[in-house]
Amino acid sequence: MLVEIIEETKGKDGRRNLKVAKENLVELIKDLKSKGYDHLSLITGIDRKDRLEVVYHLHNMKKNEYIVVRTETMDERMPSISSLYAAANWEEREQYDMLGIVFEGHPNLKRLFLPESWVGHPLRKNYDLSKVQYINMDEDGNDYATFDPGDGW
Amino acid sequence: MVVEGEKIDQSKEWVELNIGPQHPSTHGVLRLRVKLDGETVKEVEPIIGYLHRNAEKLCEMDYYCDSLIYFDRMDYVGAMNMELGYLEAAEKVLGIPPPERAQWIRVIMAELNRIAAHLVWAGAFGLDLGMLTPFFYCFIEREKILRIFTAVSGSRQQTNYMSIGGVYQDIDDQIIYDIDQFTEEFPKKLEEIFNTFVKNDIFISRNKGVGILEPEVAIEYGVTGPMLRASGVEYDVRKAEPYLVYDKLNFDIPVSFKKDNLARFLVRFEEMRQSIRIIKQAIKKIPDGPYFNPKAKKSLMIRLRGEGEAYARTESSKGEFGVYIVADGSVKPYRVHVRSPAMRNLSVLPYLAKDVMIADLFSISGTTDLVFGEVDR
Repeated sequence: MLVEIIEETKGKDGRRNLKVAKENLVELIKDLKSKGYDHLSLITGIDRKDRLEVVYHLHNMKKNEYIVVRTETMDERMPSISSLYAAANWEEREQYDMLGIVFEGHPNLKRLFLPESWVGHPLRKNYDLSKVQYINMDEDGNDYATFDPGDGW
Repeated sequence: MVVEGEKIDQSKEWVELNIGPQHPSTHGVLRLRVKLDGETVKEVEPIIGYLHRNAEKLCEMDYYCDSLIYFDRMDYVGAMNMELGYLEAAEKVLGIPPPERAQWIRVIMAELNRIAAHLVWAGAFGLDLGMLTPFFYCFIEREKILRIFTAVSGSRQQTNYMSIGGVYQDIDDQIIYDIDQFTEEFPKKLEEIFNTFVKNDIFISRNKGVGILEPEVAIEYGVTGPMLRASGVEYDVRKAEPYLVYDKLNFDIPVSFKKDNLARFLVRFEEMRQSIRIIKQAIKKIPDGPYFNPKAKKSLMIRLRGEGEAYARTESSKGEFGVYIVADGSVKPYRVHVRSPAMRNLSVLPYLAKDVMIADLFSISGTTDLVFGEVDR
């Protein structure tokens, strides 16, 4: 391996977990991709309350091997890997939408499911579920979120 | 390699067309923003999220056993496969493997549901192309499967049949007889349905050579399932990483090297034939014994505590359905994340639908097999 691995563990499903620092993430994934890990299966963000963890599931289709790369961020920012995998484009948009992780270098970092004006990121542990937001459509056909139930046409 | 469509000239004024979210050809609530040059599609932007319920958050707020119903409502035409995906992960986290008999029952139900889901797809795909007849043929056959589901679980679509550590109730001889009867009759009906499609010249000419998906591009975008196999990549989770008892069963993975719409159609029909093969073997081999793990008694369900984390992959009718559960030792999961195969298959649509005619856009989006309960979750 080119980069320093902080910790190597095994999950309950028997897959290899590699933990790396945020700065080394792109380099490691680039290295893994050149070794045949061509299928990006999943990107998961986990809200650990004091920090955000991002987990990448990579898969080697030919050899049928799995590897899990984990990294952490304290400031809600992560380097984007959308230049390496086309699948990362929507995956990162989804994690940005749900957890507010800003992927730096993403070409089109918009919310995937919710409208742009939605307040908060629902999968954060401190997200306030008691505040109801309503979705309306403006006259150009774009959706927007509002706290006012009587809004819209 | 990152595949991107050629950027179109934004300074030029294109005809912009909004399709959906309530359009009959969008299989639910897909919205497409299309830029047109005459009748040629120049750019497609799929906008999703109209059926978003945030099942992942709901799972975090519920006990392990209660979260199952949100999975029923993801791919609502293939509920058994969704339940299976969740339970594969949850059982690893909870440490409660299902007994032998439950595993065989699960295989039978998952394969029956795969046939049902493919029949819904075939019927809806016919409708996309303006064929009304196959729709009824498909749904009559699907109804027979749903009758079996009603007998085992009490409901047609949102079955909630599998439970942690086994299944909700045992199957009796009558149900096995019904399944046997179905596997005897279905292949003939399937050929009939198949012929209503392929003996139609218009159907062939509208699908042959349309929507070519190169295998490298498919892997790059994370496309899995029948769509990937129709591009010539022999990859199926049931063979690559066998779960339940799939390694004891004899079946083939259909692959096509033609890469177009017609290839995807043929692969899905061949999959139905293989599913029948699996069910026929399974009902002969199904052993006696308990149908749930005694550690997962109904009264103990809400006290189950998960530890560690697990990612489980299963082959649903759309592709690789993965569930990632992070547990923290409490009675509720800390984080649940779902890998939706249909969403990944949809994300390749802007690439596929570049420079095609507007009528072909729907035949292409039809073959991606979208179910919006699963795309939006």
